[in-house]
Amino acid sequence: MPRAIFDDPDGTLAMLRDSVEALSARSPGPASLRAKRSRKGDSDPALWSAMAEAGWVGLLLPENLGGAGLGLTEQAVLSEALGRALIAEPIAASSVFASVLLRDAPSSTERDRLAAGLAAGSLRVSPAWRRPSRHSAARMLAASEDQAGIALDGELQFVDAATSATDFLVVAPTRAGGVLLSVPAASPGLTLEERAGVDGAMIGSLRFERVRAPRERVLAQAESVDALVDNAVLHARVALAAELAGIASKAVEMTISYTKDRVQFGRPIASFQAVQHRLVDMWSDAEFACAAVVNAVVRQSGSDRRAARMAVLAAKARAGDAATSVCRRAVHLHGAMGFTDEHDIGLYLKRAVALSATLGQPEALRLEFVELERAA
Amino acid sequence: MMATDWNALSDEDFRAAFRDLVKRRLPTELRFMRKQRPLFDEVAVWYHALAEEGWLSPVWPVKYGGMGLNPAKHMIYVEEWGRLGCPRIPDHGIGLIGPLLIEHGTEEQKATYLPKILSGEHVWCQGYSEPNSGSDLASLRTAAVRDGDHFVVSGQKIWTTLAHCANWIFALVRTSRDDKVRQKGITVLLIDMTTPGVKVRPIANLRGETDFCEVFFDNVRVPVENIVGEIDQGWNVAKSVLGHERIFLGAPTRPEIAIERLEKLARARGAFEDPAFLSRYAKHRLDLYDLGSAFERFAKVLRDGGELGADVSILKIFTTELYQRITEETIALAGEDARYFDDIEAGNDRVDAMNLFLDSRAPAIFGGSNEIQKNILSKAVLGLPG
Repeated sequence: MPRAIFDDPDGTLAMLRDSVEALSARSPGPASLRAKRSRKGDSDPALWSAMAEAGWVGLLLPENLGGAGLGLTEQAVLSEALGRALIAEPIAASSVFASVLLRDAPSSTERDRLAAGLAAGSLRVSPAWRRPSRHSAARMLAASEDQAGIALDGELQFVDAATSATDFLVVAPTRAGGVLLSVPAASPGLTLEERAGVDGAMIGSLRFERVRAPRERVLAQAESVDALVDNAVLHARVALAAELAGIASKAVEMTISYTKDRVQFGRPIASFQAVQHRLVDMWSDAEFACAAVVNAVVRQSGSDRRAARMAVLAAKARAGDAATSVCRRAVHLHGAMGFTDEHDIGLYLKRAVALSATLGQPEALRLEFVELERAA
Repeated sequence: MMATDWNALSDEDFRAAFRDLVKRRLPTELRFMRKQRPLFDEVAVWYHALAEEGWLSPVWPVKYGGMGLNPAKHMIYVEEWGRLGCPRIPDHGIGLIGPLLIEHGTEEQKATYLPKILSGEHVWCQGYSEPNSGSDLASLRTAAVRDGDHFVVSGQKIWTTLAHCANWIFALVRTSRDDKVRQKGITVLLIDMTTPGVKVRPIANLRGETDFCEVFFDNVRVPVENIVGEIDQGWNVAKSVLGHERIFLGAPTRPEIAIERLEKLARARGAFEDPAFLSRYAKHRLDLYDLGSAFERFAKVLRDGGELGADVSILKIFTTELYQRITEETIALAGEDARYFDDIEAGNDRVDAMNLFLDSRAPAIFGGSNEIQKNILSKAVLGLPG
């Protein structure tokens, strides 16, 4: 069945996959997701602690910052396995995106404190950087600087693990280009609004009213902020693509198994050619998603930055389309069972839709790919 | 002359050697030929040049006059062949009959036939399909009846590519019937097409070319020693051919050619300024890019010394359908010019929009139609019940 295939000479990747399976056997993803949804949570603290303890949350952080010092290959394998198991935690934002920002930021006491806490699971560091879209009535975030530090006013949206956060990694525009700083969740003037996400986790919006941060909390400034965010987006997109590929692969497997068991007209419905060809198409889409993820990871080690970016855009687009369309067809092939909340397949569909819409829908990513290619 | 150990060369050196050969020996007018399946005489210069240089037969073992390439080097060979616009040669002898004889033929058969393939004296075609046996090949009915030390063959083959320039045919014939196992009773026969009773009729295709033919057998006498393998066991012989070469059915070559034409026409007509076109173009472009990633997933298996499973045919399905989508897009972009059969204007250049649109109908059908591929994948890969 579909899987992102990497060279694994010392068996690290196989071990990583096994440990995710072991965790999901102890604490099944769908059950955690349902519990989180009914208490309007944004993360499962027990699951997150277990993941931190396993070294997954700080996987991309170097060892001197308390992390596991592993790379994008391991991250892709981990995210794919989490996708398969529907361990629907905010790994792309609160682990990958946050880790890459902290890893790449200049060394400082605050940076080191956040990185160590993130990796250990003692801090929840949630990136807050998405400005309200032009369709929104919300106020843009603005930062002003004086001798005491930075003052923030305005709003940020699409914050994952916003209630769980102990600290936010905030990116705000300034006259000098931008600023990356940490803002404690308990800061005066900071309020949080939440809306239910389709995948069962709450999504936060932050409102800043004269929120003040001392200079020590500034992690990066000026042009370097764009580059930091860019690289974090790139890594997070790979992680999302891998998670989506895992979701697609698992949804195919669940559907194969369901249609083999489900008997109508005296035969398993998987014996009907119309169903078989649909299953082959779904399987093929999942295989292509896995191959695209592998390509994206492999291209990161090449010297061609443009080719590396294009590969990530392609993988996130391919995996997003594959996961959403495979899951749609999977729900259909589960018949009325697929439309119930009780069956897990619908949870996979919702998670696929949510992740595919995160950091660029397929269409937008494809247009960005073509623009990059045609600019050359 | 000492045979070169091609596999010992670095990939770069091997690539360079092939390019050098093409530069020296392939006449310019034969490069990037429009015709997909030239006849033997049209490309004989190239065929003989390859033979002289020892490059005609990439995968046959060295002792039979081949290059003995491993799958990784063979992939480079095929890649460069396409990239440099080498014309397709009548290659049934090299690609199909040779390997089958090497695996299943007697020493005498190998000694008789292999050198004549290399010299071009024997030009082979492959007689599998019949009018009522296409996807369901095992239902074939062309009969071979024993008469002393001969078989008497009667019946008909169809879709026999390049039969009109071949002088030998590698045919599947029925020597007995088993109603329970239809694959039993099929035998492989090597038939000299100059034998009395063989008649060939070319069939024009949608592109107006005659790549394939009907071949009729009317009491054709074939010596018994022309059997390959065991009598009644030909199905297994015919099936064993594919191996790693199935990856080439899924190569991105055709959609690559098609998207180059689409881009040329789009530039000439300003279509990249149209957001609706750009969106559709981006989809095709990324399909092609991701096909490259998927192809690499299987190519890596071969490079690492592994074997391909049935799953490789997803490449064939994807590339043939993508080829169709891109050529359909090109026809749509052509506007009313899509009424023309011949090439259409694209700025100062011309684009064979209709030629490729028509050509793209075929690959989804041949080499096992995409629906047959899906039937096989259902069973062999997904394990679905019959």
